Amino acid sequence: MSAATARIQPKKQTLEDAYSPPANFLEIDVCNPQTHGVGKKRYTDYEVRMRTNLPVFKLKESGVRRRYSDFEWLRNELERDSKIVVPPLPGKAWERQLPFRGDDGIFESEFIEERRHGLESFINRVAGHPLAQNERSLHMFLQEPVIDKNYVPGKIRTT
Amino acid sequence: MRNSRAILDDGGNVAIDSAVVTSRGAGKAARGGHQSCQEPILSNEKMPRQRQTNGRPKACFQHLRHLELYLVEEFQKGRKVADLYELVQYAGNIVPRLYLLITVGVVYIKSNELSRKDILKDLVEMCRGVQHPLRGLFLRNYLLQCTKNVLPDVADDASSSASNQEVWSPKHVEGNERNGEGEYGSIRDSIDFILLNFSEMNKLWVRMQHQGHSRDKDKREQERRELRILVGTNLVRLSQLETIDVEKYKKVMPGILEQVVSCRDAIAQEYIMESIIQVFPDEFHLQTLNGFLRACAELQQAVNINNIIIALIERLAHYAQNEESTGIPADIPLFDIFTQQIALIIQNRPDMPAEDIVALQVALIKLALKCYPDRVDYVDKVLETTVEIFNRLQLEHLKYGTPVSKELMHLLKIPIDTYHNLLTVLELKNFGPLFECFDYHGRKTMSAFLINSALENDTKIPTPDQVDTILNIVSILIVDQSDQPDEPDDPEDFAEEQGLMGRFIHLMVSDDPNQQFHILNTARKHFSNGGNARIKYTLPPIVFAAYRLAFLYHSLQNDDEQWEKKCGRIFQFCHQTIGALIKAEQAEIPLRLFLQGAIAAGKIKYENYETVAYEFMSQAFSLYEDEISDSKAQLAAITLIIGTLEQMSCFGEENHEPLRTQCALAASKLLKKPDQCRGVSICSHLFWSGKKEDQEEMHDGKRVAECLKKGVKIANQCMDSSVQVQLFVELLNHYIYFYEKGNDQITIPVLNQLITKILSGFDFFFLPFFFFSSFFSFFLPFFLFFFLFSFFLLFFFFSSFFLFFFLFFFFSFFLPFFFLFSSFSFFLFFFLSPFFFFFPFS
Repeated sequence: MSAATARIQPKKQTLEDAYSPPANFLEIDVCNPQTHGVGKKRYTDYEVRMRTNLPVFKLKESGVRRRYSDFEWLRNELERDSKIVVPPLPGKAWERQLPFRGDDGIFESEFIEERRHGLESFINRVAGHPLAQNERSLHMFLQEPVIDKNYVPGKIRTT
Repeated sequence: MRNSRAILDDGGNVAIDSAVVTSRGAGKAARGGHQSCQEPILSNEKMPRQRQTNGRPKACFQHLRHLELYLVEEFQKGRKVADLYELVQYAGNIVPRLYLLITVGVVYIKSNELSRKDILKDLVEMCRGVQHPLRGLFLRNYLLQCTKNVLPDVADDASSSASNQEVWSPKHVEGNERNGEGEYGSIRDSIDFILLNFSEMNKLWVRMQHQGHSRDKDKREQERRELRILVGTNLVRLSQLETIDVEKYKKVMPGILEQVVSCRDAIAQEYIMESIIQVFPDEFHLQTLNGFLRACAELQQAVNINNIIIALIERLAHYAQNEESTGIPADIPLFDIFTQQIALIIQNRPDMPAEDIVALQVALIKLALKCYPDRVDYVDKVLETTVEIFNRLQLEHLKYGTPVSKELMHLLKIPIDTYHNLLTVLELKNFGPLFECFDYHGRKTMSAFLINSALENDTKIPTPDQVDTILNIVSILIVDQSDQPDEPDDPEDFAEEQGLMGRFIHLMVSDDPNQQFHILNTARKHFSNGGNARIKYTLPPIVFAAYRLAFLYHSLQNDDEQWEKKCGRIFQFCHQTIGALIKAEQAEIPLRLFLQGAIAAGKIKYENYETVAYEFMSQAFSLYEDEISDSKAQLAAITLIIGTLEQMSCFGEENHEPLRTQCALAASKLLKKPDQCRGVSICSHLFWSGKKEDQEEMHDGKRVAECLKKGVKIANQCMDSSVQVQLFVELLNHYIYFYEKGNDQITIPVLNQLITKILSGFDFFFLPFFFFSSFFSFFLPFFLFFFLFSFFLLFFFFSSFFLFFFLFFFFSFFLPFFFLFSSFSFFLFFFLSPFFFFFPFS
C-alpha cells in the first residue's frame, strides 16, 4: 500500500457522539407576512422565527418582525464588515412599484409569498455561515425586537 | 424461523426499490435547510463538493455487478487484483470511490480467499468516509449485498487449523503481499464486520432524523420507515451465519442492544427490537431473555413497547407448543422472568396508558396458559398484578367501550375461554375483584359471558361455596346495583339475561343430595333479593330443582333413614319460595308451581304427604280465586287444576271430595257461558277417571252424565249459534268418549238427541254447499283440465265455423264469470254444459 492510500488508525467514536443530536442545529423560518399602513407608507413585514442550539446565540428561540429593508440593511452590514461572500437578496421588484398598475403591485399575495421564500433561504444561508454567526448585526437582526441602526459594529465571541 | 427470514429478505429488495424513489426527494431536502451549517459553501476554502450520485443506487448497483463479473473473469486469467484495489482509491469523489473499492474488494476476496479477513475489515472501516445519512446507508447496504456470500462462516478453531494448513501454500504468500499477514478469517470476523456495519448504519439512520426542517418531521419519519429494512438486513445476515450458536449469540447480543438503547430513537428502537425477535431463533431468545427484556425497559417512552413484548411472548408461547421443539427448558423460569421484567417496564413508564398495561398482562396470561397450562396460580398471579395496578392507578368503574375496559374484558375472557370450566376460573382468587373495576354495563356483559360459557360447557357446580362465589361475582344479574342507570334495561335483553340465570340454576348440581339442598338454599338466598322483575325468572327453576331433589331422596330411601324428614323440609322450602313469588304479585307461575308440587308430593309417599299435597292444591285454588281475573287465564287455570287433580291418586275420600266438588263449582262459576260449558264438561272426567287413594278410577257414571247434561244446558243458553254448534260438537265428543268407555248413563238416544241439536243448529240452506265445496276443491284441477280439454275435442272433431265462433264467444264472455263467481256449483254446470249443448246438434 502506497503512502497516499495508507490507512490512518481511526479514533473510536463513543456512543454518545454517534447518537447525540447535532450540536449545530439552526432553523430560521420567515413566515406570517402582514401588510401595514396605507398609501406611500404601506409596507409588508414578516415574522423571523429562529430556533437553534448554537452557543453563540444568546436566545435559543426567538421571534421578531422584519421588513424587506431590514434584510437589505443586514446584507449591507455583512457585506461591509464580514469577509464572507454574502448571497444576493431576492430582487427589489421595481416594475411592480410603478404607478398606474392594475393590481396591488408588491402587495399581491403571490409576490409576498415569493419574496418570503427568497428571504427565508437568504437568511438561512447567511445565518448558517460560521463567520457570519460572529457578527453583531446578525444577532441584532435575529434576536433584538427593534434594530438599532446606530449600533457599534463588532464581533461576538462564544464565551 | 426460516420463513420469517425469507420475508425480511424479500421485503428488503422491495424496500430498496421504493427507497430509490424517496432518496431523490430526501437528497433535495438535504441540500436545503440547515445543511449549510455543515458545508461551508460561502467561504473561500470551499471543499470540493461531493458529486451527487443523484440517488440512483439501483442502476448503479447493476452496473457495478457487471463490472464485478467482468473483473472476476479477468482476474481468473491471472491478473493482479491488488494493483486495481490500490488504483480505485485514487478516484476523486468519495462516493464512487467507495463503491468501486467495495466492488474490487469483493473481487479480490473471490480471487484470493486468504485476504478475506483484512479486506472485509478495510472495507467496512473505509465506508465511514461517507457520513451523509442517505448516501452512507446505501453505500453500506451495497457493501452488505456484495459481501453476502463471502463472509467467513467457520468456527474459530476450524479457521485456525485451516490457516495452519495453508501457511505454506504459494497462494497464501501471494495474498500476503499487501500487509504480510493474510487470513482466511472466521466467524468472529464476520460478527465484527456485521456489528460494525450495523452500528454505523443505525447511526446514519438515526441521524436522518436531524436533517432538514423540523416542520417536515413526519415526512422524514416516513422516509426513515421506508429505509429501515436496510438496517435490518444486518441482523438478517447475522442470523444467516451457520456457525452462530447460542453461546456466540449471547456475546453478540449485548453489543446490538447497547446500540439500540443508546440511540434513543423511538423508530429505530422499535424496529430493531422487533427485528431481533423475528430474525433469531427461539432458542436464542430463551437464553438471552433477561438481557433483552432489561433493554426493553430502557427504551424510549415513545416506543410502543407492547408490540415488542407481545411479539416475543407470542413467539415463545408458540415455541412452547410446537411439537418439534423440546418445550421451555426447565431451568428457565420463563413466567417469572417476564413477570418481573414487565413489572419493571411498567414502573419505568409512568405515562403508559392503562390499556397498554392491561395488554401486557394479556400477553402474560397467554404465555402462562400456553407454556404452563396446569399452573392456575400463574394466571392468578397475573390477575393479582392487574388488580394491584388498578388499585394504584385508582381505576374504578371503567366506562364500557373505552380501550381499557375492552382490554380488561379481553384479559378476563382469556381464562374463561381457555379453561372451558367455570370451576377452574373460580380458583382464580383475583378474578372477582377485577370484575368490580367495570362499570354497570361492562360487568353485565362479562357476567353474561361467564354464565354463557358455563352453559355452553355444561359445567356443573357441586358445592355451596362455589355457588356462593360465582353468584357473588355475577351479582349484577341477580340483584340491583348501586350504580344502576336510571332507565330500565331493554325488556328483551333483560328477559334473556334472566333466562340465562334460570338455565344456570340447573347447573348447580351436586351428586350428594344434602349438598344439593345446601346449594339450593344458597341460591335462593341470592336470588330472592332480586326484586319482583327477576324472581319471576329465577325462582321457578329453583323450585323445580327442589322437586327433582325430593324425587332423588325418594329413590334413595333405602340408604337414608332421614329421607322423609328431608323431603318434608324440601316441600317447606318450595312452599316458602312460591310464597315469595306470590308476594311479587305473580299468580300464574305460583299456581302452576303449586300444582306441580302437589303432583310431586303425591308421587313421593313420605309421611303426611297427603296433607302437603292437599295444602298445595288448596293454595292453588285460593290463588285461582283471588289473583286470576282474566277469563281466558281462568279457564286455562281451572283446566290445569282439574287435569292435575285427575292425575293424582294420593287423596283419600275426605280430601278428594271437597277438591273435586270445588272444581265443579269453580268451573260452573266461570264468567262466560262457553267457558262454563267447557269447564263443566272437562269436570266430568274428574268423576270418571279421577283416582282416590285406592288407585281405582271412580267411574261415577251418574255424576258424569250430570256434568255433561249441565254442559248441554249451558250451551243451550248461548246466543251465538255458531259457538253453540261448536260447543255441542265438543260435548258430543265427550259423550262419545264416555259411551265408548262404557258409561251406562250415556245411551244412544242421548247421543241422537245431541246430533239432532247439532243438525238443527246448522243453517241447512248452506249445508250441501259445504259438502260440495269440500268435494270440489279437491278435484278442482282435474275439472279445469277436463273443461278445457272438452273444448279442444269439440273444436277438432266438429271444426265448423259456427262452432269456432261459439267457442270464441264462450271463452271471452263466460270465462271471466267463472272466476268471478268461483262457485263450484256454477262451475259444475258450465263444465257439463258444452256437452249438453252440442251433442244433440252434432
